[in-house]
Amino acid sequence: MSGATSKLKIMLVFKEIIHRKFNFLMGLLAMITIVALVVAFYTITKATQDETRLLTRNMGFNVRIIPVASDMNQFWLQGYSDLTMSEKVVDKMIEQKSVNYSHLTATLHKRIHWRDKEIILSGISKEEREPMGSNKSKMIFAIPPGKVYLGYELAQQFNLAEGETITFFDKEFEVIKTLSEVGSEDDIRVYFDLATLQDLTNMKGRVNEVMALNCMCSTKNGDPLTELRKELAKIAPEAKVIMNSTIADARENQRKMTDKYFALLFPIILIICAIWLGSVAMGNVKDRTHEIGIMRALGFSAWKISSLFLQRAIVIGVVGSVLGFALGTLVSMNLGPKIFNVTMVAVDPVFNLLYLAVLLGPLFAVLASMLPIVWAVNQDSAKLLNEH
Amino acid sequence: MISIQKITKSYTAGQNQVTALDSIDLTIAISEFVLVKGESGSGKSTLLFVLGGMLKPSSGGIVVNKRDLFSLSEKERAIYRAKEIGFVFQSYHLLPYLNAMDNILLLNKLDNIAISKEEVILIAEELGIKDRLYHKPSELSAGEKQRVALVRAMITKPSIILADEPTGNLDEKNTVEVLHYLKKFQDNGGTVVMVTHGNLADSYATRTVNLHKGKIKNKS
Ligand SMILES: Nc1ncnc2c1ncn2[C@@H]1O[C@H](COP(=O)(O)OP(=O)(O)O)[C@@H](O)[C@H]1O
Ligand SMILES: [Mg+2]
Repeated sequence: MSGATSKLKIMLVFKEIIHRKFNFLMGLLAMITIVALVVAFYTITKATQDETRLLTRNMGFNVRIIPVASDMNQFWLQGYSDLTMSEKVVDKMIEQKSVNYSHLTATLHKRIHWRDKEIILSGISKEEREPMGSNKSKMIFAIPPGKVYLGYELAQQFNLAEGETITFFDKEFEVIKTLSEVGSEDDIRVYFDLATLQDLTNMKGRVNEVMALNCMCSTKNGDPLTELRKELAKIAPEAKVIMNSTIADARENQRKMTDKYFALLFPIILIICAIWLGSVAMGNVKDRTHEIGIMRALGFSAWKISSLFLQRAIVIGVVGSVLGFALGTLVSMNLGPKIFNVTMVAVDPVFNLLYLAVLLGPLFAVLASMLPIVWAVNQDSAKLLNEH
Repeated sequence: MISIQKITKSYTAGQNQVTALDSIDLTIAISEFVLVKGESGSGKSTLLFVLGGMLKPSSGGIVVNKRDLFSLSEKERAIYRAKEIGFVFQSYHLLPYLNAMDNILLLNKLDNIAISKEEVILIAEELGIKDRLYHKPSELSAGEKQRVALVRAMITKPSIILADEPTGNLDEKNTVEVLHYLKKFQDNGGTVVMVTHGNLADSYATRTVNLHKGKIKNKS
């Protein structure tokens, strides 16, 4: 087929569309409806997921990995486990891929009596380890070796300021930062670089705890804790996991509910729109029986005639997908914050959906129009031209 | 040459079985101008559709230019129509959303057919519709529409024109012109089979076939 011929063919499709605008618009409407619904649902889901992630993150680490034999009463009363494990547990966790969490931070804690007070020394690993390839902003600070950060309460109690030098285990450390009040046991903490504290306390390579952040976005079976426990038992039997349930759970559950509703509604919407589009296509075919008849008489094959109708369906699919994407995105950006309680993050357009819609939309339109097209080209062509 | 042997065509419409063509034998030589006459419902259109390979007869055979039409595949019959047949109908059957020129150039979408605008203009000039080519069917008179349909039927240089009451909607002046062009097509070696009422066409024809209830009444 020459270029000029196919150009004529698509012109034919467009001229027919302009001629039968109403039918085209009805088809377009069906297409826009289905795409807009899917896009809006997906866009809002994505935004609520982002929001859940942000909520979780704002609340700090929600996963704690501690030695398996830790006494839990001791752990909760003291705030950290008495036992230690090898810091290699972090590497093992990086290697497993089935559970999604991030900001892996190894820590060592030691409670000591210092200047007549009970305080906690905390060593924080310099780097937060991430699963391969991901690169995230740091959640906590990195402390240079030989320096310390001082919790708010300690700075107050001992009247210590930045730049002063204090002594632990006969070693001197410069206070390079006094932290502002956080309202937790962190206010009576002295923060060290992990390796520094390990040296200081003769705990080389040992940690009490690895802190991490699980995004709370559901995993395969939607239960990150069970999965993380299963994985960890396999790769690091010396450790166990504790997860802090938060309002992120509630959000996650809310989202799962919406997912469930949509999973139920989606096939129904899909079928309704397919029937809608199909009957509009049938209307078009019925309007064009003479046209089909004359084309047969002129020597057009059934396939050539079908291809005209298919191209028309593709035009509806592409145009409907683009407009449906725009509508669905606009609707979710405007209604998302109010109706779906997405308040902390912006509801952003998901442009990948546009590409997907432009690919799948025409396919849907073609499938929905298939029946009328097959009906049309299988009609007795003489009957189509019957002039009685 | 067209040779029809014992063609029967019945339609089933609900409970009823209608025999539109009843065991017809007919031979039409190259460059004949055959009129088909008969009352409404006598099977005239059915005969043309069978000749054009549009309608498979219930029984019997039809050979056109040494080819047994209904032993061809559907696709081969489409090619047969594209190359050998030009159809003209009472109600023109132009696509309403294309202007006259595009209605004719539509044929370019067929395999192995290449028509240029110049060719269209040449023939259109001969038929007196050159300045109507860029109008849509709704803007054309009955006579002009039928002339556009004639250009469409003739431009591929078919060997046979099948015309089903092509003058049925035309006044006498336009009827005579259409007959004139069909005659000219026949003079150049084409075969014309034309369904018609009345006597205006009689002087152009080489022969008239009268159909009555699906049978040929007399050959003249
Ligand atoms: N598609 C069809 N289905 C059922 N009956 C038909 C069909 N087409 C034609 N007929 C019948 O076949 C007979 C011949 O029709 P036709 O060939 O159109 O006659 P004519 O063109 O001479 O008026 C008529 O009785 C008509 O009602
Ligand atoms: Mg008829």
